[in-house]
Amino acid sequence: MLTVKEISKSYGNYLAVDRLSFEVKKGEIFGLLGENGAGKTTTFRMIMGLLEPNSGTITLDGKKIDYSITDQIGFVTEERSLLTKLTVKEQLIYYGILKGMTEETILKRLDEWLEKFGIVEYKNRKIKELSKGNQQKIQFIAGIINQPKLLILDEPFSGLDPINVKMFQEAILELKEKGCSIIFSSHQMEHIELFCEKLVILVKGKVVLSGYLKEIKKEYRKKNILIQGEISIDKLKKIPGVLEVISTAKEYQVKIESEEVVDSVFQAISKNKITKFVVEEASLNEIFIEKVGESYDK
Amino acid sequence: MTSKFWYLMKQSLNKKIKTKWFLFANIILAFVIVGLLNLDSIISFFGGDFSTDVEIILLDQSKKADEIFKTSLELTKSSLDLDHEIIVENFLKSEKELEKELKENHKVGIVLENSSDHYLKAKIISNKKIDTISYQVIVQALNNTKTQVAIKETGIASQELQKITSNISIERLILDNDAKTEDEAISLIMGTVFPTLILPFFMLVIFLVQMIGTEINEEKSTRSMEIIISNVSPKIHFFSKVLASNIFVLLQGGLLILYSGIGLLIKNSTQVTTNSSITNQFSSIWDSMNQAGITNRLPMIILATLVLMILSFIAYSLIAGILASMTVNMEDFQQIQTPIMMICLLGYYLAIMVGMFDGSILIRVLSYIPFLSCLLGPALLVVGEIGLIDIGVSIILLILLISFMIKYGLKIYKIGILNYSTDKMWKRLYKAARMKE
Repeated sequence: MLTVKEISKSYGNYLAVDRLSFEVKKGEIFGLLGENGAGKTTTFRMIMGLLEPNSGTITLDGKKIDYSITDQIGFVTEERSLLTKLTVKEQLIYYGILKGMTEETILKRLDEWLEKFGIVEYKNRKIKELSKGNQQKIQFIAGIINQPKLLILDEPFSGLDPINVKMFQEAILELKEKGCSIIFSSHQMEHIELFCEKLVILVKGKVVLSGYLKEIKKEYRKKNILIQGEISIDKLKKIPGVLEVISTAKEYQVKIESEEVVDSVFQAISKNKITKFVVEEASLNEIFIEKVGESYDK
Repeated sequence: MTSKFWYLMKQSLNKKIKTKWFLFANIILAFVIVGLLNLDSIISFFGGDFSTDVEIILLDQSKKADEIFKTSLELTKSSLDLDHEIIVENFLKSEKELEKELKENHKVGIVLENSSDHYLKAKIISNKKIDTISYQVIVQALNNTKTQVAIKETGIASQELQKITSNISIERLILDNDAKTEDEAISLIMGTVFPTLILPFFMLVIFLVQMIGTEINEEKSTRSMEIIISNVSPKIHFFSKVLASNIFVLLQGGLLILYSGIGLLIKNSTQVTTNSSITNQFSSIWDSMNQAGITNRLPMIILATLVLMILSFIAYSLIAGILASMTVNMEDFQQIQTPIMMICLLGYYLAIMVGMFDGSILIRVLSYIPFLSCLLGPALLVVGEIGLIDIGVSIILLILLISFMIKYGLKIYKIGILNYSTDKMWKRLYKAARMKE
């Protein structure tokens, strides 16, 4: 289990991370969200032992993270951290040995993952000759080849097409099943919603929202009503508590302040011809935008 | 962690050595060095006008010097080791007839005449230019002929004339071993041998700076650094690079010596019968060194040079590595490389100029400064301007600088390798130096 307790980090007068705390249990996927410059990279670097926090502690299974246990951590960075002149095999051996593995084990696991991702033929190709998507697969394999206890995934799906995203999702869920604790960072909220049980949203190094995703969504007052049928947008907009009415090709999305407004909306359209009326929780994306925006306004 | 250090070092070294570039560069270097050392043989091999025999038509109007000239010419030819023949035939017709004949061929005409002022005067006629060496041989033979004619006509004994015309005999004694010697032999060594010997060092420093800088820059710009540093400490990463780059330059240095050795062996085997063979050239250099009093100090000079060079390699690799950690792209790397190169270049030129500026206080002071001391120290030691104590001071200063760079430079390195700021390179460096880890 990863325990981050009250960590802070500053660069000169600039406070990059301010008293951040969270826990990631075994087999749990944790979302670390924030805009660019929010302090995510600094947090990752502190977890990886690359930077020393000014205060607070980070432990993995009760042990302080240092070079004696970094072999148990995997890291997939946002940018492709590959030496492009090396072949896939050379690159994986290089990173694997630095993780304390033997060449034999590295090659065995590499073959398994290449097979899984359907890129066996690239084993002896130079990385610079691979497509962006395939380079991303190699980077992912490099991050997990040591079967880490803790895996940090920073924007793992960038540059991937939907088929490869699905492939990665399956691989991530497989690692979770095996008990790997995963910290996941992405700007695509649908990915966070899909994977993460718990999350933290950072703004300028400070936590603005944290907790279990289900609870966050439940506690968030604003809801959306999805309607299909004949309605008057102007009429709906006049109802107190209706924030916005968005018309799409398929349906109408009515954003409301709280669950109490649902009844008023239903009453207003009840005499119309309606084929769909669904109340749903706000998306993580909406929550994120509001929380980050609020924080900037303060 | 120790095994990771050796693995990183091995990887770094293999990345440089097990490449087509290294093989290709060394094949070219071997050819260039062997070729330069055997340039004369190569030029001769491909042939040219320089080896054409010279035919002389001699018109002796003085009626007394033709045989003397022929003998003098033979003696001069053999002393200068000419690789082509100079054939002489007598001409019995008039000077005009001679000119007429010379217009139709490439022969050289020599007209010898009596002279009341100089015993003998000569005229050299040819249709085209005569090659420089043959011309010198002819002129020297003519001078000897004139001397022989003068001896004969004045009745002075040849030994007496030799005594009159020979240079004054000078015996050179240096009482203070540490005093600077003004012997001309030193100028010869400083002007020819020394620049040739320090040029490889200059080249190796460039290889060293480029190797360590390019590698760190590559790992940083590809963001591989974060993965590497998350598995090994920056200290281990840094020293593995420093050690690998130093082993590389020592290996490359050894190869340069090997290529030179092969070149000299080839030169020796192709010129064994001539006076300009390599053993003679070495013995001539050795004589000059002996005359300058360098030979008895040679072990000390070699040892001091080696120590200074190895320490300087370490210092250059440390500074290049520290500065490279602040780079984020190749442009940045060019920026940091330039001042290092300039310092080394300054040292190289100053070392060459040591012979020209005897007693220069500036050069002497600069010889203590790390990065320059490896080039200036040995140069000043050769000319006797500094002694072992001065070299000791340079070594101490180098060791102090290396310790300083390890202590404070490592701090910059640790911060630098993870710094992707868009600030200007030197500003980043300044900030990193002031920042707490």
